[in-house]
Parts: sequence; structure tokens; C-alpha cells
Amino acid sequence: MNAEARTYQKGEIPGIIAINADVCKGCDSCKRYCPTGAITGMFGAIHSIDVEKCINCGQCLINCPFGSIYETVDTVDTVIVKLQDKNVTVVGIPAPAVRVAIGEEFGMADGSLVTKEMYGAMKKAGFEILDNNFAADLTIMEEGTEFIVRARHALFGEEAHGHKVGPLPQFTSCCPAWVRYVETRYPALIPNLSSAKSPQQMAGPLAKTYGALEVWKKPPETIYTVGIMPCTAKKFEASRPEFTSAYHFLKKEGKAGSDTPYPDVDTVLTTRDIARLFKKMKIDFTKVGETDGGPLAEYTGAGTIFGNTGGVMEAAVRTAYKVLTGNELQPLEFKKVRGMKGVKSASVTLMDTKYGKEVTVNLAVVNGIHGNIEPVLESIMAGTSPYHFIEVMNCPGGCVNGGGQPIKSDGSSWLRVALPLFGWK
Amino acid sequence: MKDERYQYEESPSYVSRREFITISGIVIAILALPAVWIRSAVVKRNNYIRARINGLYRDDTGSKVRVSHGNSGVAKLYKDFAGHPLSEVSEELFHTQSYINRTRI
Repeated sequence: MNAEARTYQKGEIPGIIAINADVCKGCDSCKRYCPTGAITGMFGAIHSIDVEKCINCGQCLINCPFGSIYETVDTVDTVIVKLQDKNVTVVGIPAPAVRVAIGEEFGMADGSLVTKEMYGAMKKAGFEILDNNFAADLTIMEEGTEFIVRARHALFGEEAHGHKVGPLPQFTSCCPAWVRYVETRYPALIPNLSSAKSPQQMAGPLAKTYGALEVWKKPPETIYTVGIMPCTAKKFEASRPEFTSAYHFLKKEGKAGSDTPYPDVDTVLTTRDIARLFKKMKIDFTKVGETDGGPLAEYTGAGTIFGNTGGVMEAAVRTAYKVLTGNELQPLEFKKVRGMKGVKSASVTLMDTKYGKEVTVNLAVVNGIHGNIEPVLESIMAGTSPYHFIEVMNCPGGCVNGGGQPIKSDGSSWLRVALPLFGWK
Repeated sequence: MKDERYQYEESPSYVSRREFITISGIVIAILALPAVWIRSAVVKRNNYIRARINGLYRDDTGSKVRVSHGNSGVAKLYKDFAGHPLSEVSEELFHTQSYINRTRI
């Protein structure tokens, strides 16, 4: 593909999203969804995507009224070959947002919750399951703890042993498009990103270490991890060269079983891809019946709402509240961070029992980078931001509306072009 | 003196005040239809996103355990394998220091 890509490391996939010039009508709808202005081309002329600016979010893809935008990476056939190989244990890692959208590909109503059916179809196809919601719970434990360390460092001057303590506000790092956005546009804010990996990248090494050795009892090098994601940017994230931590961890213990580093997540399928895989393997999703996911599919309500805008924040608040005060948050629903508003903010006042002091934590949730993020980041750069913890999700609505989700083209994308003309948002 | 050529009798109006208001109302309603279609398209265009969001919130409310620190599988993982959050194993497997400044590759 693009050999001169400047904003990509060696080994990463550049240009996951591309426009088919034969189909593009130059209607400009995609430009209204692009968070970085990566799409070039005059109105009426064939458009193209600048891979250096593109953060792979796929919003243009799901909103193109003509279906002219496509993914250049398709590993459905590779995964089918792996599933049929008896020497390979294929581990599927289904994200929260997949279970409320995959039904749409099989004619079910929008938003049908089909977790058990999804497990059933995956088991039938030959997957072992490590639910990404399990990794989401793990993410909250790691990222929430990290936030408490950062906040105590900033407020009380507490030193962490052996850790570099990052500055406030802390950004969530679950969204790979958002991480690339920071890396390409606001490198000065990189220390503010949580050092916790995204749930997918926690699930990968988890499957190849703990899962392989303790749960499935298989040699780690025979585990093939497949992220099942609502997201095109996850394909990029999985290809980042530094994500071989399972290999290096096992190497030290002499259990790696190979001399060439293998990636934590071998490949990523989007919701559309996995639906296509089921259809190719002739698995009728509507008739598979309900199945349990196994030991690594246990998840909580906090893990599952990761797929919604504000969900990571809500889950983090539930756990941080318990850790700091010793009591559960009452009520558990933290409604201020829910809803489709562009930037949502809230504050929580709570007692830090360790220091016996009351603290007020200011939180913000950015729902969609496009049109919302710049004022927030500029105020942080200027040092005037009141926030301590900020969740950023690239796609409006959260992962449920990600670039890898079923395309619900009702032909209304052009409204984004027309509405601003009438001062209507 | 009047100019005879411009004198004529206007035919009396058969549309009463009420009828006029009714007719105007119908005309305005017909003119407003496209506006209603557009508005409903605007309102409905994100309904599938809301349906999926509500699906996940249903999953949350229906869960027995609704907080991450209550996940017994994660607790077992920490007990048997990783120790505690931000432990050495956690730092190695679940954290990264490799965000890079992509303006300078």
C-alpha cells in the first residue's frame, strides 16, 4: 500500500479505510463525519482519503449514502482456515457493542441483545470465548486504580513506588482512533493518556498467558486471538508493533514456544466481518440457541456499558467510589454521563477515607471527536481545564455506532450536509 | 366627476371569515408536510443508535453483578496470576508506555 506513510510505525497497517473511485459521487456527506478532515476532493469530484490524517474510525464508511467506502483489510477467510486447523485454538474476543448489533445482520430488530446466541454461534464455528467485557472489567480495575494514583499524587502529593505518575486530566485510552488522534495532532498530551491498554489489547495477552496456561491448558504459541470488534480502528491497533507483550512475558519464563514474536491479538474482525463468517460457515444465527461462554466470559453490568458513550466513565465511577469511600455508589446509575450530547460533564464529591478528606472530582465525556474535542483540548493546553478525568470516544453514541457495525443506511447522511445551512444541529 | 369606464360592481364574496381561516389552515398544512417529513427524518436518523445504547443498558440492569470490582473471574485472575492492579505483571501485560509522537516518525 502506501510505502511512504509518515505517521505509521513499521508493521502497522496504513490506509484501512479507502474510497472506491468508481462508485464515489462526490456528495460530500463523508466529510461531515470525518473527525480529522482527512477526506479531500471538491463537491462533485471523486473524493480520496489522506492516510496520514485518517484515524481509521470508519464513520465515513458507515455513513456513505452510496456505499463507496470500504475496508482494505479482510481476514475472514484466514480465520476460517484457522478454525478448521485442529492444532490451533482460536480465541474470539467479542466486544460489548457487538452483542446489540450483530442481530441486525440476521434480520432482528435494532438493538436486540443476543449475547447467548452470539456465544452459541461462536462455539459452533469453533471459537473459544474470552469475552471482551471480562477484559473491560479488568480495564476498570487497572485504569480506575491508575486514576486514583494520579489524583492522590496531584492532590495530596502521594508518591507511587516504582511508577511514573502521569498528569491530570487523565484520558481514557480504550478508543484506538482517539489514541491515534492524540498521537498525530496533540503529542504534548500523550502523558495524559491512561497507560492502561484498551480492553482488546488486555484480552490478547490475557488469552495467551493466563488463558492458555491456566484455563484451556494449551501451548501459548498455538493460541490464535481474534478481536471481534464494532470498529475498524481496532484492526490498526492490533497491528501496532509494541503489542507483543504476551510473547516477551512468556519468553522470560521459557514458555513462549517460539523464537519469533507473535502479536497479542492476531487479527480483528468487525461485526460485519463476523456476520459474514457465520454466513460463509453456514451457521444460522437465529437457530443456534443459547450457550454459556465459559470461565472467561463472566462479566458485569459495568463491563458491558463500555460500548456506550459515557459507559467507561460510569463504570470507573462505580468502582472508584467503592475503592475511595468503602461504600457502593447509590444509585448505581450515573445518569449525568449518559445521552447523546456532544460534551457531558459531571462532578462527584466523595470522602477519601485514606486521607479523611473530601474531594470533588470533575469528569467529562466527549461523545464523538468530530466538532467536540478541540475546545476541550485547547483549554487543557492553556491550563484552564477544570476536569480531572475525561472519556473520549471517537464515534457519536460510542462503540455501538462504530465503523465496523452493521450499516443502517436509510439515506439520511446528507442531512448532515443540509442541516447546518438552516442553523439546525 | 367619476370616470364611467372604471365603474363596476364587485361580486359579493361567498367566503365567510371562518371559511377563509379554514381554507388557509388547509393550505398551510399542505405546505408544511415536507417540513414534517424532514423533521421526522432528522429525529429518526439516530434511532438505531439509541436502540443499541438501550440494549446495553438493559444488559447492565439485568446483570446480577453491576460493578467491575465484583467480577469474581477478575478477582480470581488477580489472586492466581496478576496479584493486584498496577502490579508488575499488570504493568507488563496490561499497560503500555509505547504511545508515540507520530508527528516525528
